[in-house]
Amino acid sequence: MTDLTAQSRKFQKELNSGTSSLVLLSVLNRSREPMYGYQIAKMLEDNGPDLPLMKQGTLYPVLRSLEENGLLESTVEPSVSGPPRRYYKITEDGRSALTEWLEIWKQTKKFVDAILKG
Amino acid sequence: MFNTVEEYLDALKVEMKGSDSALMQDALADAREHLSTALAVARESDAELNEAEALKIIVDEYGTPEETASAYREVERRTSPSLKPTAKPRSVLSRFFGIYEDPKAWGSLLYMLISLVTGIVYFTWVVTGLSLSLSLAIFIFGLVFAIFFIFSLRGLALLEGRLVESLLGVRMPRRPLFIQKGTTWFEGLKTNLMDKRVWLALVYMFLQMPLGILYFTLTVTLFSLSIGLMAAPLLQLIMLFPIVSFGSVQYFLPIWSLPVFLLAGFLVWTATMHLGKLIGTWHGRYAKWLLVSE
Repeated sequence: MTDLTAQSRKFQKELNSGTSSLVLLSVLNRSREPMYGYQIAKMLEDNGPDLPLMKQGTLYPVLRSLEENGLLESTVEPSVSGPPRRYYKITEDGRSALTEWLEIWKQTKKFVDAILKG
Repeated sequence: MFNTVEEYLDALKVEMKGSDSALMQDALADAREHLSTALAVARESDAELNEAEALKIIVDEYGTPEETASAYREVERRTSPSLKPTAKPRSVLSRFFGIYEDPKAWGSLLYMLISLVTGIVYFTWVVTGLSLSLSLAIFIFGLVFAIFFIFSLRGLALLEGRLVESLLGVRMPRRPLFIQKGTTWFEGLKTNLMDKRVWLALVYMFLQMPLGILYFTLTVTLFSLSIGLMAAPLLQLIMLFPIVSFGSVQYFLPIWSLPVFLLAGFLVWTATMHLGKLIGTWHGRYAKWLLVSE
């Protein structure tokens, strides 16, 4: 990330603003147990590219806004090691949104790839 | 760069200066949760961990305070509050009667009715808790009670905040305030007693009863007045019931005046809706001022 120019960082940020919602919904859809922020961040890090595309701190406001829109729900539980943790779980609305978003993502990906290949 | 989680949070606080105080509180809670968890995980794998160095790697992945602050602001900008009405240019008349489809007005009226109950509960709790804390202070278990009471104030403040946000549409904290772990309970009590938020919440809870009585009385009085005015023609025409009575003398209203009464009742109710919305806006601001402070 440090090698990128300011312009490229801005481009990456703009891309992330859409994809991070999709990624988070899909992670929580696949997970059987409710997950907390750090867990999700670790999971993304383990599965992601070598060069992290987004800062972990940017995931939290997205989780919060997804919850506000009713796509996720959360509970706070105390933890042994420190402050209480917020566990997120996908809702029914979230699942149906994910199905639609995946379709949009597929279309977008196909379109962009087609244009880029020329 | 940062030696402790607290230092990072302080820097984040500086970065978020000027943004909504409730948003800041959420951002701080999230950062605290993540950084502490990450640090605890790192400590598990290496007992003789250099905290500052570990934190450097963690913050590198989490993002600088500047990046984190901008992420929160960005998302908040994109998410509009659920009760924000879509602004359309409208005439004075449709603005006046359009209040009926304004969720904020209905929410405010509901809040004004509920505030009598919550006001009495808060007041009773605060007065009982405060007097018991003071009078039991001579015993050891008095301290335990005082701690319990102070923690309950934080909980009540959060609850009231949720109520204010959902009914009055004012952004309030969605996370409880966190108190540093690893300190003794006595230090915890000391931090709490020095925390102005606890005292402001106490004042709020105390004042909520007189305000609740005022709000409830106002709503019920105006509502009864408008129902009475609207019901007058009905009573006189159908039930043959004289509306005006002075002592033993009773009058029937002239027929032409009946629609006027109906209209007057409707206007009083519409005006009450506007008043409710205005009070709701004021109360929202006041609640934010007392319950959410940096």
